[in-house]
Parts: sequence; structure tokens; C-alpha cells
Amino acid sequence: MRNGFKPVITVFHCVKSLGDETDLSALEDNAEIRSIKIPCSSMVKDVFLLRAFEAGADAVVVLVCPEGECRYVDGNIRAKKRVQRVKNLLDEIGIGSERLGIFNMPSHDEAAVSHIIQKTASELMAREPAPAAYGVKL
Amino acid sequence: MNVTNQSKLQQLLKKGVFAVTAECGPPRGANAGVIRKKGEMLRGYADAVNVTDNQTAIVRMSSTAACVHLLQMGLEPVMQMVTRDRNRIALQSDIMGAYSLVFRNSFVIPGDHQTFCSQPDAMNVFDIDSMNLLHMVKTIREEGKDMSGFDLDAPPSMFIGAAANPFADPLDYRIIRLAKKIDAGADFIQTQCVYNLQRFKDWITMASEDGLTEKACILAGVTPLKSARMAEYMAHNVAGIDIPDSVIRRMKGVPGEKAAREGLNICLETIAELRQMHGIHGIHIMAIENEEKVGEIVEAARLMPRPEIAETGVSHA
Amino acid sequence: MIVGEQKKLAEIKEIVAPYRKLLLLGCGTCVKTCFAGGEDEVAALASALRLAFKQDGRDIEIEELTVERQCEDEFIQEAAEAVARNDAILSLACGAGVQDIARRFGNVPVLPGVNTTFIGVLEKPGLFTEECSGCGDCILTTFGGICPITRCAKKLLNGPCGGSREGRCEVNPDTECAWQLIIDRLRALKQLDNLKTYMPAKNWRTSHAGGPRKLFREDLAI
Repeated sequence: MRNGFKPVITVFHCVKSLGDETDLSALEDNAEIRSIKIPCSSMVKDVFLLRAFEAGADAVVVLVCPEGECRYVDGNIRAKKRVQRVKNLLDEIGIGSERLGIFNMPSHDEAAVSHIIQKTASELMAREPAPAAYGVKL
Repeated sequence: MNVTNQSKLQQLLKKGVFAVTAECGPPRGANAGVIRKKGEMLRGYADAVNVTDNQTAIVRMSSTAACVHLLQMGLEPVMQMVTRDRNRIALQSDIMGAYSLVFRNSFVIPGDHQTFCSQPDAMNVFDIDSMNLLHMVKTIREEGKDMSGFDLDAPPSMFIGAAANPFADPLDYRIIRLAKKIDAGADFIQTQCVYNLQRFKDWITMASEDGLTEKACILAGVTPLKSARMAEYMAHNVAGIDIPDSVIRRMKGVPGEKAAREGLNICLETIAELRQMHGIHGIHIMAIENEEKVGEIVEAARLMPRPEIAETGVSHA
Repeated sequence: MIVGEQKKLAEIKEIVAPYRKLLLLGCGTCVKTCFAGGEDEVAALASALRLAFKQDGRDIEIEELTVERQCEDEFIQEAAEAVARNDAILSLACGAGVQDIARRFGNVPVLPGVNTTFIGVLEKPGLFTEECSGCGDCILTTFGGICPITRCAKKLLNGPCGGSREGRCEVNPDTECAWQLIIDRLRALKQLDNLKTYMPAKNWRTSHAGGPRKLFREDLAI
């Protein structure tokens, strides 16, 4: 474990998968969490995921509704396809596709969200930080 | 058309002889010995021999050259031409060259697409289709003009063949297509190899009803199966081949070393049935890389000896 | 639309490697609709390139701009100022657009970021298929709206060949046999007799085989 290394995790989520009232402060000892709320997880455009890495994320997590439960019907399917495309790109860039993950979350399940973020953080602690940010400010 | 210029195949068919043609694939290289060896195996058994044209898009010695080798041996070639590799300029040029070399039979097909085989990176041509090529060869013969309307000096007068597949999709359209080919210029037809006799019979009956068997000579294709594996492979992987389950079962039902004999028996039974059908003018034996079997088949089918045509002195006028 | 696919990142990296300041120029028409070179694709590619060069320990400055079309001067000129600020242009337009940019801004290297392929349609989400090869003499009337030149691998006008299997082309089982489609369509339209007529050899002079083509419209030339 690197001393002083606090990984940055950017979390994209739709309004159902992570509620406004969810308290993530307990996790902030282990990681800096930047959360970005979007109306539907399908809106994770390639450029948003990539810019998150440019802004310094060591990992990016996308939280979506379980399949069949997206209020926009197939938003979570589109998100899955987009994430896969960017994962392939991350491998081509050399950053590594394992730094980007997509997870189906039951609605407003704080415990499930915590678990995913903890797991991501501990996996990151076992490796190098991602390449330094280009300088894009959030 | 000058009678003395007619090919042996044409003359035999005109006389009502049940014709036998065979196939010969040129080698992948310039070894004329290979062609001559195959020619020797077929000598006396086939009235004419089809020489394929870069078959399955694999680069081989040219059909024209291979035909010359056979001609020099005293055999009668049928020069195959595909539209995949040459445009109308080259095709007309080849017809004239062929005729000047005393070939009298041509056979026209589109050819397998080049993505299959030894040169998938190549550009294809398909300037004209096989129907256009039939039409072109016939027009050259009947009007003495090339495709641009130019009067030719010694216009080639070919006996023209085309392929027909009674087993391909879509079935109901096959007779319309056959009629179109015959109108365009096909004098004789060689079919895809027959295993499903019932379907073939339906096809030939329909062709007969439309008067097509009077207009063109139909030669039914036959290929002896060598093994159960070959039968299954062809049935499932080769487009346009129809092998009924009963045939596959027969091939599977005999021990491995007896399979080739069983395949031969099936072939002979098929030939016997074909000889009974109205509208069939002969058989076309396709035993590629298995040419030594042709003689055995022709003998066992009691199609020997092959009739000769008295030397007619084909003129080069 | 004209369909194309963005080149792989590795190839693009190599193409732009000599330049420090790059204008990444997108097009809002055909390549946008096939998700190869529109605004979104420009943004994502710029980000990916920056990250990739950072991995290599290099910096690259990328300016991002998308114009409506790169095949018309009216829209290309909007990029003039951005061009002046940069060392090279990576265009995500189709081959025609790239060349038109090169024509207008000839003193700056203009590099292609997309492999342009065919004129086609979006058959269903994610599936683009080739439909027209621009032969210059449209015969779709005879064939019930299905083009045998483009959709038959052998360009047969008097098809089909004997190679189709259950309505699939011998070249590729994913491709439908165009002639099966033509026959089915004409049958439905009760026009199957169209196929009894012999189609003569095609005059290819109006196609690309006759040389690169021009269309001059006197009525539009002011």
C-alpha cells in the first residue's frame, strides 16, 4: 500500500441507483469520491468517462439500475454498451480497462453502493495511481 | 454454321448419342505433365473434357493453355470461362484465341467469388454476367460481330454450354432461369451433381413441359462419393448440393474400406435411372482429383465403347 | 448516408505523432449519423489521445471543432481561424470531406481519422448495410427496389447464381442473397415477369469505372 495514496473514484449514477440522501462520508477515509448525478445512466457519454480520468480519477464506477428496471426501458443497456466501448479504449490507451466498472444497483441500496466503492478502493490501493490528470478542472 | 466446324460433342448429341463428358482441373503450377496424365485417364471414356477456369478462385494454369495440352493429345476440350476474372474485352479476345486454336466447345459460369480462396485480396471483375457471356458467344457465332458491332474476320462458332442447378434455392425460379439461359445462347447444359433423383425428376419434367429439353441438350452431373464424411461435408457445406438422408445412411452403413465401392454403386444406380429419363442427353462426370474413377464408371455403366466421328477436317477458315 | 468507421487509436496516434498542436475536426452530417466523426466522437477521441500521449510522457494540444459538413466551402470556412492556430488537422469526415479540407487549407497537413467505406443505411440499431454503389444509371425499377449491382457479390443482372443457401450469399452467411430478396419482392408485387426479360451487359461508363466523375449543373452555376 502506498503511503499517502488516497485513490480518486468518480461515481456516475442515475437518480434511482444512488439517492441524494445517501451518505458516503464513511468511505471518505479510504478514497476521494466524486459523484456525478445524471438523469439516466445511459447518458454516460464516452467523453464524460474519459474526461473523468483526465481530471485525475484512478477508477470510474458507473451505477445503473438492474436490467429490466430502468425507468427509460433500456438506458442501462445503452450504458453497458458505452462502458464496454470505453473499457476497450482504455486498454488501447494503456490505462487498463479494469479501472472502469459498471454495476447494477437495486434502487436506493446504500449498503450495496458502499460495498462496491470499498471494493474498488481496496483494489486501487494494490496498484499504481492512474496517469496524472491532463489538467481538466471539474 | 459450317457443319465440318462442329465439335465432336455437338455432332454426337445431334445424332442422339447418350454423351459422356468429364472434368479436368489444371494444376497449381506450370506442370503440363499433370494435365497430360489426367487426359490419359480420360482418353476413350469421355466424348469431351471440361477444363475448369481458376476453379474455386484458386490460381491455376489457365483453362486455355490446359485445353491446348488436351487438344495436342487428341482429346476434345470444353473450355470453361468465368466472368469473375476477365472483362468483356478479355473474354471476347479469349474466345477468338480459343477458336483459332481449334477449340469448339465453351462453357460459361460466373465462378466462385474470390473471397473464398487463394487470393481473397484480389479485385474481382464481374463486368458482365454469365447470361451476357452466353449471349455474346452466340451473337458472335450467329452474326459474326463482336459486342461493339464490329464485323469479325473468321468469327468463332462455338458450341455453348451453361450450368444449371436443379437443387439450388429458389427452386421454383430455376426453370425460368433455365429457359432464359437457353434463349440467351446455351446449346447444352451440365447440371450440378445428382443424388436426389426425385427432385431432379421434377425439374426435368418441368423443363420438358416447357419444351426446353428440345432446345438444348441436358447432361446430368454425377460425382461418386468416396466416404460418408465426404457425403456429409457436401450435404452441409456446399451450396446447391442436395444429398438425401437415405444416401448418407447408405454411405454410413458400410465399413470404411467399402465406402468408395458403395459410392460407386450409388453413382451407377443414378446413371441407370438417368438413362431412363426423358430429356436427358448424357452425363457429366465430375470426379475432380479422382479422375481414375471415370473409366471405371463408364465401363460399369455399359457406356463403352464411346462412338467416334469420322475425321471431318475441321477447317480454319 | 456515407458510412465509415473511425481508425484504431494506435493508427491515429502514429498519424498525428509528428504534431504538437492538432485541430481535431468533426463533421455533423454522414459521419455523425454513423457515429464515426461527429461532435461526440471528436470529444471522446481528443480525450483518448491526450490520455494516450500522457501515458507516453508526451504532451499534445488538441483543439476540438465540428462543422456542419466538410464537403462544402460555406461550412469549411468556419474552421479557418482554428486552422491558423494549429500545426495539422485530423479530420473525421469521410474521404471527400478530408480532401475538401485539404483543398481549402493546403498549407497545413490534413490527416484522415476515419476509414470511409460505403453508401448505406441504418438497417437496425448498430447495423449499417451497403445499398448503393453509385453506378450512375439506376435500374431499381426492374428489381423491385433492391440493387443487384451493389447487393449481389457478383453484380449479376440475370441472377441468381447457384451459390445461395437458404437465402444467404455464398460469400458470407451473414449476407442475404440479393436475388432471393429480389425474387420475393417481385413476387409480392406480382412483377416476377420482370425477370424473364434478358438484361444486357451493363454500360459501366457512368460508374467509377469510367474515371472520376463530375456533375456540372449549369442552372446552379452563378
